[in-house]
Amino acid sequence: MKKIGLFYSFHSVKTKQQAQKIIAALGAENIEEVNVEEADEATFKKYSNYILAVPTWFDGELPNYWDEFLPAVEDGSLKGKTFALYGGGDQKGYAENFVDGLGIMADFIEARAGKVIGFTSTEGYEFEGSKAARGDQFVGLALDIENQAALTGERIEAWTEQLKKEFK
Amino acid sequence: MKADVQEIYKIKTTEKESLLKWYHLLKLGRSLDDKAPNYLRQAIGWSYHAPAAGHDAIQLAIGQVFDQEHDHLFPYYRDLQTCLSAGLTATEIILNGISKDTDVAGGGRHMSNHFAKPEINIHNVSSCTGNHTLHAVGIARAIKTYEAKGVAISSQGESSVSEGYVYEAINGASNEKLPVIFVFQDNGYGISVPKKDQTANRKVAKNFEGMKNLRIIYCNGKDVFDSMNAMAEAKKHAEENQTPVIVHANCVRIHSHSNSDRHDLYRDKAELNYVQEYDPIAKFRRLLVRYNRATEEELDAIDAEVKAEVKVAHKAGLAAPSPDPESIHDFVIAPSYVPQKFPDGTHNEEGEPKKLIEALNGTLKEEFRRNPHTYIWGQDMANKDKGGIFNVSKGLQQEFGHKRVFNAPIAEDFIMGTANGMARYNKDIRIVVEGAEFADYFWPAMEQFVETTHEYWRTKGQYSPNITVRLASGGYIGGGLYHSQNIEGALSTFPGVRIVYPSYADDAAGLLRTSMRSEGMTVFMEPKALYNAPKAATPIPEEFEVPFGKARIRREGTDLTIVTYGNTTHMCVEAADKLAKEGAGNIEVIDLRSIVPLDTDTVLESIKKTSKVLIVHEDKVFAGFGGEVAATISDLGFEYLDAPVKRVGSTFTPVGFNRILEAAVLPNTDKIEVAARELLSF
Ligand SMILES: Cc1cc2nc3c(=O)[nH]c(=O)nc-3n(C[C@H](O)[C@H](O)[C@H](O)COP(=O)(O)O)c2cc1C
Ligand SMILES: Cc1ncc(C[n+]2csc(CCOP(=O)(O)OP(=O)(O)O)c2C)c(N)n1
Repeated sequence: MKKIGLFYSFHSVKTKQQAQKIIAALGAENIEEVNVEEADEATFKKYSNYILAVPTWFDGELPNYWDEFLPAVEDGSLKGKTFALYGGGDQKGYAENFVDGLGIMADFIEARAGKVIGFTSTEGYEFEGSKAARGDQFVGLALDIENQAALTGERIEAWTEQLKKEFK
Repeated sequence: MKADVQEIYKIKTTEKESLLKWYHLLKLGRSLDDKAPNYLRQAIGWSYHAPAAGHDAIQLAIGQVFDQEHDHLFPYYRDLQTCLSAGLTATEIILNGISKDTDVAGGGRHMSNHFAKPEINIHNVSSCTGNHTLHAVGIARAIKTYEAKGVAISSQGESSVSEGYVYEAINGASNEKLPVIFVFQDNGYGISVPKKDQTANRKVAKNFEGMKNLRIIYCNGKDVFDSMNAMAEAKKHAEENQTPVIVHANCVRIHSHSNSDRHDLYRDKAELNYVQEYDPIAKFRRLLVRYNRATEEELDAIDAEVKAEVKVAHKAGLAAPSPDPESIHDFVIAPSYVPQKFPDGTHNEEGEPKKLIEALNGTLKEEFRRNPHTYIWGQDMANKDKGGIFNVSKGLQQEFGHKRVFNAPIAEDFIMGTANGMARYNKDIRIVVEGAEFADYFWPAMEQFVETTHEYWRTKGQYSPNITVRLASGGYIGGGLYHSQNIEGALSTFPGVRIVYPSYADDAAGLLRTSMRSEGMTVFMEPKALYNAPKAATPIPEEFEVPFGKARIRREGTDLTIVTYGNTTHMCVEAADKLAKEGAGNIEVIDLRSIVPLDTDTVLESIKKTSKVLIVHEDKVFAGFGGEVAATISDLGFEYLDAPVKRVGSTFTPVGFNRILEAAVLPNTDKIEVAARELLSF
């Protein structure tokens, strides 16, 4: 497995804890952590395998740090690059936009010919609408600390096992 | 959520000049917004301040797409940045904030933080949340009718969308296909109330997704580019398709709702923290620097410039004159038409009597022919051979077309509110509305009625709603509780409206003509029981006109004055004739014709002669308009009186449906006769 660039906000709390769990599961030697808030195009280009941490904010929006970073890479191609996405969401509080951020990010990547892997089943979640849902799958790993904190550990375990197979 | 629209504006490609202009505006707006509380602390003014902070991006965008020449903007009380971006100067913002005479919204008459400049089509709106949506729809109807360029833009918070009239407005815009943009600035709260307590959908715009001809754009109101793209698309869409658009913009409210709210009582630390972190201006600055569109030094220089500008504006604001207390009576109501041919509203015409309904229908047609900018709408206004629930508007649509004569939905507030909107378009426009099918159904329109009474005064004479509100009123038709009401007394407590209530065909024609030629609002009460009554039919001279505030003596007498109007005028004349025949006394009957303004002179002159007065009207005696007449007489004419002022009218009960009940409630000739006898023998 090539080195994975794990992009998340070093300022976040929940997302950061989840990142640490993912690193532990995949092995620190396989991962390089990058703070999205400071990343530039060159840093981003260095990788071909990525994990992007994309929690959803404000009724279906990307957090500012992603909004502010994406223009850096929006004009280039992501062809040949592989992305796995995870992010927090609250299926009760924001049932209409549950983990929308994952879907927005997947669309962004695919529109630039990047490949998104690490899809998971929507089973076990209850929500009304999600940009991340395609049929009965999410385009990444949805973590719900607000309502299903107890499931986070096993969800990360299963997902990272899946990534080991899907990342080349 | 990023808007699903064409991305015209982007951090990497938008011209630097625009980016710096926006940064300047954003900082200027924020700086004024941050400074506002200081004025209150120093007891200078700005006692109401609803901060714009957190709404900055969408507000900038609203102002930037607004074209002063062709568009019409209806901002709300949080729209400081919107108004600045749309064309108000920093000084003008402060003049409004501290309520100076030179405040361009209306000379300090309206509340602070209600920014406006009617001169450049930034309208002066109510504090009544969201009611300007109806005005935006009304003016959009004018834009469409006159095939003009431009759109109407209405702006409000997401919670006030709960108001029923907002639904009426959007339904009307969708149905009539009007070029209007409704912006919902969603900060999650209506004061302290979270939006989950307003409506089931998290995004209230979703409630409108089933409406036809309506585009809905969701955008990130905290992001300058997304907001600009959303507003640009909304405007293009509304103009090109001549259909409405909703822009639902996600914002944060960084501060409390207003200076009288304390958000730390209902928001936790985490929330107070993240709303600060999501400050739209900070984000914009980070983007400018990150993508090398501006250097820190350049931006600091703008910050310094803004500081200096605010200082100058502050000084100008403090030096501006305060309003003069004597001026309160200015601009209460716009000038009325002064009859030229019939200066006192009387005539000696002989010939064929015309019914009251014919008088109304004929006058409407004549005035429609005279002024091509005359419009009429209401419920059941026109369908083939039917014209109005009582056929008052018969034949109008055939002659003047669907653009000038049309049906309205069953939404009285919409009928009234869009009149107040459309009338803004140009000063020649005259609107007649059938305010409701029956006066009894005018109550749903009350908030727009009140609103309309305020316009002229609130704008210090900059805008006068030139509207005649026709209402079929009163009982005697066996109509029960909801087809018998008289509402003139209740309406008369509002300054800013004239109220007339004719009893005969000629006065109906003359008063309607004068109403339709006047500036300002006139409520025209039609005694519907008399539409076809032979006793109300009279000859009517051509182009007859009746001035406001001029009563008519319908019967001369010396022993008792009866002051009346509407249905009861005829009963008073009958009673007087009967008593005269008996030799019981010679009674003078004064038909007020206008209630507001009231012809006190004619009443007092009569009392000087008779020394006794009876006031008669159909409405309830208790708190009816007669109380005002009685009080005025005892105030100004006590010395002429030889007997107590007596009143006859309805009992303080609703009007029953059964004819026995109706007769027990309403005044009639016998009841008037009894009271008149009593006074004559006093
Ligand atoms: C203001 C706010 C808005 C949110 N909006 C959404 C949303 O639209 N959809 C969703 O699934 N979760 C939403 N959430 C829940 C967050 O995604 C969730 O708490 C996540 O774990 C946050 O991670 P972070 O704190 O590391 O950024 C929202 C949370 C907040 C505080
Ligand atoms: C008809 C009416 N009802 C109540 C109020 C009192 N009021 C003033 S602001 C406000 C909250 C409005 O919230 P929202 O529409 O979301 O706008 P925001 O202030 O949050 O920007 C209320 C209830 C009012 N001004 N008008």
